[in-house]
Amino acid sequence: MKEINELNLPDDVRYTKDHEWAKVTGDVVKAGLDDYAQDQLSDIVFVELPEPGDTFGKGEVFATVESVKAVSECYMPVGGEIIAVNSKLEDDPGLINTRPYEDGWLVEIKPDDLTEMDDLMDKATVLKVLEGNG
Amino acid sequence: MSKKTPLFKWHAGHGGNIVSFGDYQMPLWYEAGVKKEHLSAITSAGLFDTSHMAAVIVKGTGSFELLQRCFTRDLNACIGKEKSPIVSGRCVYGAFLNENGGVIDDAIIYQITPDEYIAVVNAGMGNVVAGHLDAHKEDASITITDLTDKLGKIDIQGPMSPKILSKILNNPETVFDNIAYFSFKGHFDSTSLQSQQVKLLDGTPVLLSRSGYTGEIGFEIFVLPESTLKVWEMLMDAGEAFGITPCGLASRDSLRSGAVLPLSHQDIGEWPYLNHPWEFALPQRDQENSFSKNFLGMDALLKIESPVFTLPFVGNDPRKVSTEHAVVMDDKGNKIGTILTCTTDMAIGKHNGRIYSIASPDKPEGFTPRGLSCGFLKTTIALNSGQSVVLKEGKRTIPVTIVSDIRPDRTARKKLNDFI
Repeated sequence: MKEINELNLPDDVRYTKDHEWAKVTGDVVKAGLDDYAQDQLSDIVFVELPEPGDTFGKGEVFATVESVKAVSECYMPVGGEIIAVNSKLEDDPGLINTRPYEDGWLVEIKPDDLTEMDDLMDKATVLKVLEGNG
Repeated sequence: MSKKTPLFKWHAGHGGNIVSFGDYQMPLWYEAGVKKEHLSAITSAGLFDTSHMAAVIVKGTGSFELLQRCFTRDLNACIGKEKSPIVSGRCVYGAFLNENGGVIDDAIIYQITPDEYIAVVNAGMGNVVAGHLDAHKEDASITITDLTDKLGKIDIQGPMSPKILSKILNNPETVFDNIAYFSFKGHFDSTSLQSQQVKLLDGTPVLLSRSGYTGEIGFEIFVLPESTLKVWEMLMDAGEAFGITPCGLASRDSLRSGAVLPLSHQDIGEWPYLNHPWEFALPQRDQENSFSKNFLGMDALLKIESPVFTLPFVGNDPRKVSTEHAVVMDDKGNKIGTILTCTTDMAIGKHNGRIYSIASPDKPEGFTPRGLSCGFLKTTIALNSGQSVVLKEGKRTIPVTIVSDIRPDRTARKKLNDFI
């Protein structure tokens, strides 16, 4: 497992307490699992993604990510409609491990209320939380 | 209490993700990750620290009779197709049962001489099994010695393991001559006569057993604790050119599941040791109400009123359920059982309804498996191979099939000469 100072936590995304990340581009929120989550899960072998058009509230389960070790649910960082899913993960779920913020993204969301992003944590806060736990 | 094996510092210094397993601090996986570790034992070689396991020496006149009474395997009828008696240099798998027919622990028993045996048991079970045997011995001259934490053990598993091992053996030709599956040579104790049989290049004596817990060809190496790190490093060095990969407990678990091998206290346990895939470990059942020998726990096995059935299963994809919360349902939605083991064998996939492994010679072109969930179910009704059931956990429902075997084309039983 990575030490806290080894984690890749980009500055330009926001984080949930459950270690999803979310990034706003225009009026779309792209979401995935952060480096801490993928490192904890280890090799990801399967991803169950929602269908485009599905809608979920903030904090609702929208995907299931399965590693060799465990099954882990992913929670919506903001409420809204799923407008795209990363179909590459079907054949190569390990992209979440290798490129969690790039090719390993999970979904794109059309948010109901973009101000829900303000509830998410920035990198410094995530680090504080991790250090508090660790 | 937290114990460490002689290899703990190596694990911690080489990216081992350390977890508590029983009383021991063990690597769950290393930097390569579980998937690569799992695949390495099927395509090249995996190296496992199994020093947390325990061994019990049973020595003296009457040892055979004691084990024959307490162990499920019929030691007079256990070797080869002709079911001949155990001989020195052979080892057999079986279990120690209590009076209720439940499992105290499973074990491999090694015959060193007709009056000396080593029972290799699970982590933390050395004193339990030693105490059990001591309580049942009828001959006071039998000595029972628990070697817990007094023995190191390294497993090298996979098609490259004979080649790698040959690089560090002093006399590979003699050692590899006539070493069948479930036989062994040598001894870790240099005062033992057998210790002359197998020595490493630097003279270290080892007990080398052609067995393992992955379903792949390989060896279990027993060595004194003070030599364990040296032997591990010799194997890592010799194996570098062959792609050897240190493997943690997670890949050990997924490999053994795909090979239909039970984990003691999980797939076998308190309940009667019957109606499971490992009945070869019981004496032959001549008639419905008798076995070919008497053994502790037998009476209970012959009087089971409500049997339970342990069955291997395989899924259609890598999806798993947790063993704590999921249940087994039949096609009408009735609960018929629980899940004992559920893991993913990353080396297998289904194609036209058949399971292939990355090691299958007839695998479809471009076969890149995503892995299949597999493991063992415990049900209250008998199910046949090919029957479908559903594993249900909360909202998740995962269809799986009862099978008689899981990962095809395993190498454990193949001819050693084909791998040298």
